Amino acid sequence: MAAIDHYINTIIDQGAREAHTDGSATIEAHHLLLAIAAERETTTHQALASAGLDHRAIRDALNREFEHSLNAVGVSAAAFDLPRPSSAPDLPSQLGASAKLALERGFTSVDRKKDLRPAHLLLGILQAEVGTVPRALALAGVDQADLKARVLRTLTNAGE
Amino acid sequence: MSSAETPVPQEPADALAAVAALRRLADQIEDAAVEQAMRGGWSWPQVAEALGVTRQAVHKKHAKRLIAAGVTLRRR
Repeated sequence: MAAIDHYINTIIDQGAREAHTDGSATIEAHHLLLAIAAERETTTHQALASAGLDHRAIRDALNREFEHSLNAVGVSAAAFDLPRPSSAPDLPSQLGASAKLALERGFTSVDRKKDLRPAHLLLGILQAEVGTVPRALALAGVDQADLKARVLRTLTNAGE
Repeated sequence: MSSAETPVPQEPADALAAVAALRRLADQIEDAAVEQAMRGGWSWPQVAEALGVTRQAVHKKHAKRLIAAGVTLRRR
């Protein structure tokens, strides 16, 4: 198996664990972003770190986005004081619409599959202009366009 | 809640994000509430009727998780 296939599998597997922690039945783009942050792959890590992002910071930003979006309609997740439900016995295996879109965008950013690098996956996630990830990044004060440009630069440099 | 207390999102992005977040919150509350009810001795038909869905739907969505959690389930 090519190194990139191994990386994609690792990110999807880790994404499934992130989704499971969330109690989500599907793996979404923000779970893939958390997975990328949890993996010790150098280029993606450096790009995220340059924007002040690690796994913890992304998780915090996502929680903030959730509360913020609920607050827009006068709802607070904290208002529901129910015991935490038991986790599903199995990890989710299905990719949600946002994750499929992110992977598709990542894959189509190269002409030939052999040119695919881990940073292309991150790029695919960062190409979203609306949805949970852009909103969470904006709330965390991250300039998404700047981060995307930085990821692109690492890819161009690597290709030289 | 009066209209003065209810914030209405002006931006479509905020309103759409609110829908996504409410769905997620509803799923979380459903998982917790169904588990609480079943631990409290409710039956599948009762939980289904209270949620306004079919018994098959609620069973399909929650049975595996509750069985794995060791919840004693009433059949009827």
